[in-house]
This record gives sequence, C-alpha cells and structure tokens, in this order.
Amino acid sequence: MEHEWKKGSAELLILSLLEKQPRHGYDIGKLIELRSGGVLYFHIASLYPLLYRLENRGWIQGRWVEKANQRRRRYYRITTEGQRVLAQKRLSWKEFVGAVNRITGVEHA
Amino acid sequence: MPDWRSKIQERLTSLNLPPAREAEIAEELSAHLQDRYDELRNSGTPDEEAYRIVTLELPYTDLLAELQPIEAKYREVIPEGEAASGHLMADFRRDLTYAARVLRKTPSFTIVAILTLALGIGANTAVFTIVNTFLLNPLPVTSASRMVAVNTSHPAKTGQSSDLRPISFLNLKDYREKNRVFSSLAGYSSPMAATLSYGNDSHRVFVEVVTGNYFGTLGIYPLMGRFFSSEEDMKPRAYPVVVIGYAAWQGRFGAASDILGRTIKLNKVVFTIIGVAPKGFKGINAVFGPDMWVPSMMAEQMLPTQQQNPLKDRAVLTFTGVARLKPGVPLSQAEAEMKTIANELAQEYPETNEGQSVALRPLTEAVIGTNQGQGMLIGSFFLMTIVGFVLLIACSNVANLQLARAAARRQEIAVRMALGAGRTRLVRQLLTESVLLGFLGGVLGFFFGYEGCQFLWSLRPAEFAQNLADPKLNANVFVFSLVVSLFTGLLFGIAPALRSSRTPIVEALKEETRTLGHSLSRITIANVLLVGQVAVSLVLLVVAALFLRSIRSQYAIDPGFETKNLAIVMLYPGQAGYDRTRIEQFYKGMRDRLVTVPGIASVSWASNLPMWAHAEAGLTIEGQEQRKKSEEISSVVNTIDLDYFSTMSIPLVAGRDFSQNDREGSAPVVIVNDTLANRYWPNQDPLSKRLQLPGQKEFRQVVGVVKTANYQTLGEPPQPCVYIPLRQTYSDSMVLYVKTERDPASILTAVQSEIRNLDPALAVDDLRTGTKVIDQALWGAKMGVGLLGVFGFLALGLASVGLYGIVAYSVNQRRREIGMRMALGAGQSSVLGLILRQGITLVVSGVGLGLVLSTLLGRALSKTLYGIGAIDPLSLGGASLVLLVVAFVACYLPARSASHADPLVALRAT
Repeated sequence: MEHEWKKGSAELLILSLLEKQPRHGYDIGKLIELRSGGVLYFHIASLYPLLYRLENRGWIQGRWVEKANQRRRRYYRITTEGQRVLAQKRLSWKEFVGAVNRITGVEHA
Repeated sequence: MPDWRSKIQERLTSLNLPPAREAEIAEELSAHLQDRYDELRNSGTPDEEAYRIVTLELPYTDLLAELQPIEAKYREVIPEGEAASGHLMADFRRDLTYAARVLRKTPSFTIVAILTLALGIGANTAVFTIVNTFLLNPLPVTSASRMVAVNTSHPAKTGQSSDLRPISFLNLKDYREKNRVFSSLAGYSSPMAATLSYGNDSHRVFVEVVTGNYFGTLGIYPLMGRFFSSEEDMKPRAYPVVVIGYAAWQGRFGAASDILGRTIKLNKVVFTIIGVAPKGFKGINAVFGPDMWVPSMMAEQMLPTQQQNPLKDRAVLTFTGVARLKPGVPLSQAEAEMKTIANELAQEYPETNEGQSVALRPLTEAVIGTNQGQGMLIGSFFLMTIVGFVLLIACSNVANLQLARAAARRQEIAVRMALGAGRTRLVRQLLTESVLLGFLGGVLGFFFGYEGCQFLWSLRPAEFAQNLADPKLNANVFVFSLVVSLFTGLLFGIAPALRSSRTPIVEALKEETRTLGHSLSRITIANVLLVGQVAVSLVLLVVAALFLRSIRSQYAIDPGFETKNLAIVMLYPGQAGYDRTRIEQFYKGMRDRLVTVPGIASVSWASNLPMWAHAEAGLTIEGQEQRKKSEEISSVVNTIDLDYFSTMSIPLVAGRDFSQNDREGSAPVVIVNDTLANRYWPNQDPLSKRLQLPGQKEFRQVVGVVKTANYQTLGEPPQPCVYIPLRQTYSDSMVLYVKTERDPASILTAVQSEIRNLDPALAVDDLRTGTKVIDQALWGAKMGVGLLGVFGFLALGLASVGLYGIVAYSVNQRRREIGMRMALGAGQSSVLGLILRQGITLVVSGVGLGLVLSTLLGRALSKTLYGIGAIDPLSLGGASLVLLVVAFVACYLPARSASHADPLVALRAT
C-alpha cells in the first residue's frame, strides 16, 4: 500500500511542477528537494524511470533543447492528457489528505 | 570532466535497448550527474570528493531494475530473460542481432579479436589454398575420380612407385586397341623444351606431345577453336597443328582474338594454331605444365635426338598413359586386364618389352608426380600443422580476451539470469557471439589468405611463371575457411561461455565494485592458455630458426663446381633446323668466338644443367655384368665438350682429360668421378677399366677420374657420374658453360649478342649465372623457410598481444590492491616488480615447456635438417631470447602504467 501512495504522490509532484512550464530532470529533482525543505528527495535512479513512465503514458512529453553556451537538455512539458490526470490526482489527493487528517486529528492539535 | 556517459552506457548494455534510445538515456543521466558534480564543486567541495558523492548517488542496480519494465517497449527483440521461443532459427536470428549489437558496443575488443582471428585463419587459408591446388584438387577435368594414370613398370624391381616410366608409342597403341576396360586411353609426353619462332623472335617454350584423343579423354573443352581430330593423329608429319595454352595465348600472343589459323614455327616446323585450351588447364602434372600441345604424329619434330624414332621404336618410352575407366569397371579389374595385355606384348616383343609390365594408379595420385609428391605431402602436412598452431594461439588469445570481458560483463549476465534466462540459453547466446566473431575473422582472414597466397606465388621463378600451376581459389578453399572460422568461434567461445553462465547471480548483482578479488580461477584458465601460447610460439620460432640455419649451411655447401664466375645458357641448335655437321660446327664456332671475348676465361658445352641431372639406371661394368636387376647400377651421365672440367673447376684426380683425339672413330672413352671409381673398383686402378653405358652396346675405357660434385641437389650424398666426350656422342641440344674472370652478370649480354650474331634464329631465353642456379636449387627450401619465419613471428606477435592483454587485465583487476600498497608506502619499483614477476613467471614456464617440445620436435625433424644437429643451441637460445625480450616488453608496459598510477585514483577505482 505504502509503495502505491508514494508512487502516486511522486507522479502528482512531477505533473504539478510541469504545470506552468517545461523543466529538465535535474531541475525537477532540485525543485522537489528545495520546495519540500529537504524532506522529499528523489534519487536519480527513481526520478528518470518515473519520467519515462509518465512519458510512456502520454502525460508528459520530453524534447531535447539546445541553448547557447549550455549542454543539450531534455525538457519535459505536460500534455493535455497530463493536465486532465493532474486535475484528477489533485482532487483525490486532497480527499486523501483530508481523510487522513480527519482521522489522525491533526487539525485539532 | 569525468566521463559519466560511457560509464552509464556500459551499464545500460544489459537492457538490450536500441542504440539510439540507450544513447538518449545515457546523455540525459550524464547531464544530470554533471549538473550535480558542478553544483557540489561550486559549493566548495573538492573535486575528488564531489566525484565520490556523485558516483554514490547513482546505484546502477536500482536504475536497471526500474528501467527494465519501462523500457520494454523500446526493445526490438524479446529480452534474454524470456525463454527460448522454440523456433531454432528465430532464436538464432535474435541471438545474432544481439551479438552484433554487443560487438558494436565494444569496438576495440571486436577489432582486436577479429584481426587476431583473421591472421590465424588467413595463414591457414593461404596454406590450404596451396594444398588444394596441388594435392586435393589439381585436375580441371570432368569426374577425375574415374581417371587413371597408366605407366610402364618393372615388376622385377619390387614395384617401387618411383620406378614407373612412360610407355612407348607402339605399346600405348596396342594397349588402346586391346583393352576392354577403358572407355578411352590417351598418352602425353612430359613438357619438352622447343624453340618457338614467331615474327622475328625466338623463344624457348614447353610443348607436350599428346595423342589425338588426349583432350577428349580428359573431358575438357577448348576456350576457342577446337582440339585435335582423330584424322590429325593418323599419319606422321601430315598435320602440323598446335593447341596453345591460355597463359601462352595471353602472354605470347597478346590474347589476340584472331589467333586461330595463325602460323608459328616450332623447331623450324610451321604449325597452325587450331585452338586455345581453357583457362587454368596446364596439363596433368599439378606443378609444371606446357605452353602448348601438338599431336603425337608430330613427335619426331619435338623430341630430342636421344629419343629418336618415338613412333616406331618400342624402346623409346615417351608417353604417360591417361585413361577413363568404363562405367562399373573397378581399378583392380582394369589393372589385371592391362597386365595380361602387357604379358602378351612382352612375349611378342621380348627384345624391348621383356621384364616390363604396366601399372595403374588413380590419376589424382599420379598428378603430383612420384618424387615431388612425397615431399609436397610432407611439406604440406608440416605447414598445415604450423599454421594450425598459429590459429590455436589466435584462438587462445581471443578466449583470454573473452574471459577478461566476461568478468566485466558479470553484472549484465547476472541481470539476464535474474530475469530468468536459462543457462543453455545464455551459453547459446554467448556462443553466437563467438561464432559471429569467428565468422567476421574468417571473412577478413579469407582475404588475407588470398592476398598472401598471391604474394607467395608472385615470388616463383619468373622463367617458369607461365608453366607453373596457379593457386586455385575454389569452393574447397571457401568451405575450408568457413569451417575453420566457425570451429574457431566455438573453440575460443566455449570456455568463457560456460564460465560466464555459472555467474552467481546474487553476488554479482550486489557487486558494486566489480573488481574486488576472487577472480583467481578466471586468471588460472587464462594463465594456462598463456603458458601454452608462449610454448607454442617458442616452438614455431625454434623450427623457423632451425630451418633458417639449415638453409644457411646449405648455401655454404661447396657443390663441387664453380658457381661464382659461371654463366650458363641452354641452346637447342637442333631445333633451329641444323643438321649434324652444322651443329658440330656451331658448337666449335661458338667456343672459338666466345674465348676471344674479354672477361671470359674458358668455354665448354655439356648436356646436363647443373643441379638438374638425374641418374640413369643400367650401367654395366666389365667383369661385373652378372648383377641382379635390383642391384642395377645407376649413374649420372653427362656429355661434355673439351675444357669442361677447367670451366667448371672440377679437379682431375687421376688420368687425363678428353682431348681433340677423342673423336668419332677413335677408341671410345669415358671419365668417371671418384665415387664411381671407389665404389666399383675399390683398391684398384680405375684407369683402363671398361664400362658400358645404359642402352649402348660398346664398352668404353676409363681414361680419367675427377672429383665428385653435386648433380641433383645441394649437399646430396655422393653419387656416381660418367662423362662422355661430345665428339663421340652427338647431341643436338647442349648447355653452354662460360667461366668468367669477373662478375658473370656483366658478361651475359656479350654472350647473348655473340649467339645472336652466329644465328638469330636460336632461342636464348635462358641465361643464368652459377649463383642463380644455386638460388633456384634452393628456391623451394627458401620459400619454406620464409613461410616458417613469417608464421613464427606471427605466432610471437599474437602471443605477445595476448600476454600484454592478460597482464593489463590483471593490473586493472588489482588496481585497488596496488593503490592500497602504494598508499601504505610501496615504491614504484616494488609495484613494477610485483606485476613483472607475475608476467615473467608465466613466460618462463612457457619457455621451459616450449624448449622441451622444441627438443622433441627437433629430433623428429633432424632428417630434414642439413648441417646442424637436432638440438641446436643457437636456434633454441636465439628463439628463447627473442621471445623473452618481446614478452618482457609486453609485461613491462602495463606494469609501468600500474606503478605510475596515482594511489588515490587507484583506491577509488570501481
């Protein structure tokens, strides 16, 4: 069960980060670490397989981009399908977190 | 900047992805690692620490496990983990695709392996091409297995095969008419030197006299025109027609398309060209063939005076029979019937045929010639063995490379096995890789071999280039190369494949650092192979050295006659249409003219070419006539002119030289060599003893004894020789001997122009110096030694590459250990010593083993070696030294690089 949550949440994280702008893998990993205050950390060995899986499903799409004085990077952008999935996942995550909170009583602490 | 990319790519191999996808992932991940590395360094982390951290952040095992299911869609083929499809061919194709991809990914390994194999296979192909040309498939005739060679034999003399002689024309005719076992029986003479006049030029060519049904019996068809009709072989001299060979058509007549119907002169007789033989047909003898063929009815015009009346005299043995067996008739039955006919003929013509019978052999056996055959068979076997060893070295080299690579591929293999690949499946996959390598090596090797063979053949004596058989590259050679290369692939692949398939999965998967020890057994196989390689290459080097030394001592042999200041020319005045008186005048005139040429010391004539004589049986010594047939005396017989002994620098031991007075009508005389004198008149004065030459009736008196020289081969055991004066024995073709005062090469043109002045119609193609005669006598041996040398050094080269590879590999394996040692204070020299010791121990064991083997082989070879003992310290020592030096370098290079390694880098090495 735990594995599934983690996987589900990881997908949500990535899709969220790509919602506003395309990003490359290192950027994604860095942002997750930064914004979570170091709590969440994606290993390179899991980050990229995850990206490839999302790409396989057609939720995101990678494209090689070359910028002056920089090495070539692969930028991922979210697809329409991805946006639909993101909305859905957000909703169920909210429901999930709300449910957990209600049970654990965090709100009343 | 660290090279992340190739490291990643190496690990990704096991996923079996299409190259483009693999490269894409590798690029993306390495960009990530580089970003991380830069970030760490920018925040003040030292380079090495940054490197370490980044490396730790990428656990490959996890990555591969994660990628495995996701990337499945990119795979063109089903992963190795899946079971065999059950379709052999489908599996094979899949394995092949995968193998090709794996080999592409490690280009340096692939190139080294293919080159190594190509050299080994090439050497084998080259030697096999020669064997194939001469021994296996020499006959360009249809269904050669039904063909037999027919010869006169002398059963009284225990039927030795070397005793087979040609058949006289009349006997051949009787055999043809009386037998019921052959569908066709033809005859051919040996190639006869003839003078070809065409335009204003005269040249020496070789002509075979054949019966009209010769080509029909062999079942070959002309390239152009036609062969002889039966009508053209009925009446002597009636049809002067000639069929020319392909090489002669190309060479002498510029491949003229209107060649048919042209006329040429052979020995002053006008012949009409009626046909061109097919390409590659150079007569029946596998080695030496004629330029053209004439019908047997023209024999009188082609044969030398010694073979007078070839068509009427049953004693003139001119034709070798070649016959096609009737369907269903076995050789034994044919021979029995032919022997019966021979007996009838012996009763009918006792004077000529008594004691004669007939012998049949399969033609394929006969084509090699009897004496040549044995030597060639042994030589070929020997060379095949040698190149076989070279190939073994190449194989064990590649096996070692494979073993080293297998160590590097442990994880890949473990992943495959973890995913469910069966052992058999894995071994099959690995073997497919090896066989593919072998095949690629074979393709390249085939071309190496072909080129090598062409090169070898380009070294043959130019005078006979057109008459010598061409190396044949046919299906046999191709199949041989293919089989050798596939077998090679299996040979070097099987051990590494079996070993790899025993990889303990869990251990290998856990092995973050692949190089941590425990590779001892891996090294052990490699070490054994290596010791073997060193031993075999030493043996090959020693053999090459032995033969080199042997040939050098052969050059040092005194042949017993002048070679340095000697020039010789073969001349055939009889073929220029001269009659006897004119020829005798010519011999004398030539001598008189040449002695006046400055630089010429003396001039003489003789019937024999130096080193080309052959012994004739049937010499009779007065008072010793009652000999058994088996004790028949054979002797070299040479007809010589005045001054022969002084021209050849052969010293007179007793008696006198021939003089002006030994002419026709005076008492018949001979001079013998001391071997003959000592053998047949031991402790007696040979002078005034008398002997009878083979086939002659009168007894000749011995007037002189000269020292024995070499007549047939250099360093031969002394053999009897009888000299008779030219003035008492007429010959229409003789060899001119000129002794010069300085380098004979400078005199050759003067001699040539003198001959042309005397008669431009004489063919003077064959001018040689004495040194060249010796060179030619040793040509075969020199070629052999050259080949041995090449193969010896090839073996040495391959073995040292192998040695280098294995030492470099083990250094690589021990990088951590070495780093540790150095970090703990071991100096460069002690590390160098450590590595060197390992390599040199192997080499020394190999050399020791090789020396033992060489000594054994030397004993076996001692019969064929001249002037050196079976255990030749110089050859053994020299070869060992060369090998040790080369091996030392091969060990030193990787050892030095190890000792120069930075301990920090070495310690960190993964």
